[in-house]
Amino acid sequence: MSGSHSKYPGLPPLPPPFAREEPPVAKVIEEKCIGCDRCPPLCFFDSLFMESRPAHPYGKIAVVVPEKCTGCGLCFEACPVDAFLWVPGPRRPPGKEVANERH
Amino acid sequence: MPLTLSFLGLRLRSPVMVASGPASHDVNQVRQADEQHAGAVVLKTACSDRFEEMRSWPRPRYKMLDWDRQIAGRSKTFSLYSYEQGYSGTLEDYWEFIRVSKQHTSMPIIGSIFADVPGDWARLAEKVQENGADAIELDISSPHRPGSLGFETTFIAAVKAVVASVTIPVLVKLAPGPDVPDQCVAAEQAGASALSLCNRLRGIDVDVESERPILHGYYAGVGGPWAKYYTMRHVAEAAQRVSIPISATSGVMTGEDVVKYLLLGASTVQILSVILVNGWESIGRINAELLAILERKGAASIEDLRGNALRNLTPSEQIIRWSGEPLDGPRNVWKP
Repeated sequence: MSGSHSKYPGLPPLPPPFAREEPPVAKVIEEKCIGCDRCPPLCFFDSLFMESRPAHPYGKIAVVVPEKCTGCGLCFEACPVDAFLWVPGPRRPPGKEVANERH
Repeated sequence: MPLTLSFLGLRLRSPVMVASGPASHDVNQVRQADEQHAGAVVLKTACSDRFEEMRSWPRPRYKMLDWDRQIAGRSKTFSLYSYEQGYSGTLEDYWEFIRVSKQHTSMPIIGSIFADVPGDWARLAEKVQENGADAIELDISSPHRPGSLGFETTFIAAVKAVVASVTIPVLVKLAPGPDVPDQCVAAEQAGASALSLCNRLRGIDVDVESERPILHGYYAGVGGPWAKYYTMRHVAEAAQRVSIPISATSGVMTGEDVVKYLLLGASTVQILSVILVNGWESIGRINAELLAILERKGAASIEDLRGNALRNLTPSEQIIRWSGEPLDGPRNVWKP
């Protein structure tokens, strides 16, 4: 569904199939990431940053902090190489499921 | 300082305010807006407990429509498709959010609320004032709950209830649509101190392959630079009908967009999408562009621009018209 030839490059138009059971968070596919720095500025929730990886072909990659990711989808849109995918994220402790990030 | 202005009795260092939304959802964002010299921040809308479900959001909740990833943040035609609804914490969290924001910044902080019955509107508004907000915006027109508010009954009653309950200025945020000028007049008569024009439109997009509405499968708010001309018209219409100030919001990407809204009668503008796609520096950039335009035009103050284009609005009957027909008459000869 995603990819440069579909109508919706970037974020897939539909949520991942597991989204009914588990809260999705973004994850960077390390082999695909080109370390271009585009996604961290678009992440409004401080849950994406660049990390140095000397062994990686580009020397650095983007990393998602699952505990902070609110699953909004913006990083998928920022990525020029579709290096993001949805994975099940951590659940809130009982009684706190409703609230998002606190400050 | 040429960008400073008086708005609702508050001193703003710039007419550029951060609109209620994903860029005003936590104190770290308020801090960034302050550092970029935003004029004020309208905090993310807090919903009454009757709309508790609006504090939880689907994942994902944003999609950039017509977004060219190759030119990323320089895209000027995208639409931010969003189903992010109310502030995600509890009301207690929200009161603390107001207090902490006030404590650490010098700019005006405007609370934003959504409810349905007038009693809830009033109670939330009182708490917003009690916790130190400089003004309050009534999100009476959310793209997520259109039609849930009967205009004659709930809308007017809500504005009146809030106005009677607080002493801080009350902004009323309206949805775009044919009723805007009349709603502006009604809001002014009900005691509103200012208008915020306009909320985002309610839209929908469909995935052709699966034949499903995208993301969460329901309508969502749409907005972006393409929507500004429509809102500019609303601002122009409203400015001619009411005497209370207008805070314009829709599709502002540049200082020039701000100036256009001011020339059409707005006192301030609110921005959001541009911060999302181009970062917090957008506020500082737009302020710098505003200064450059003021200088170029030889205007001493941002307030000198307000409404100037309205005075040049040409009424329909005064538009200069010429014949639409060619000299040799209508082209009624069919050429096979």
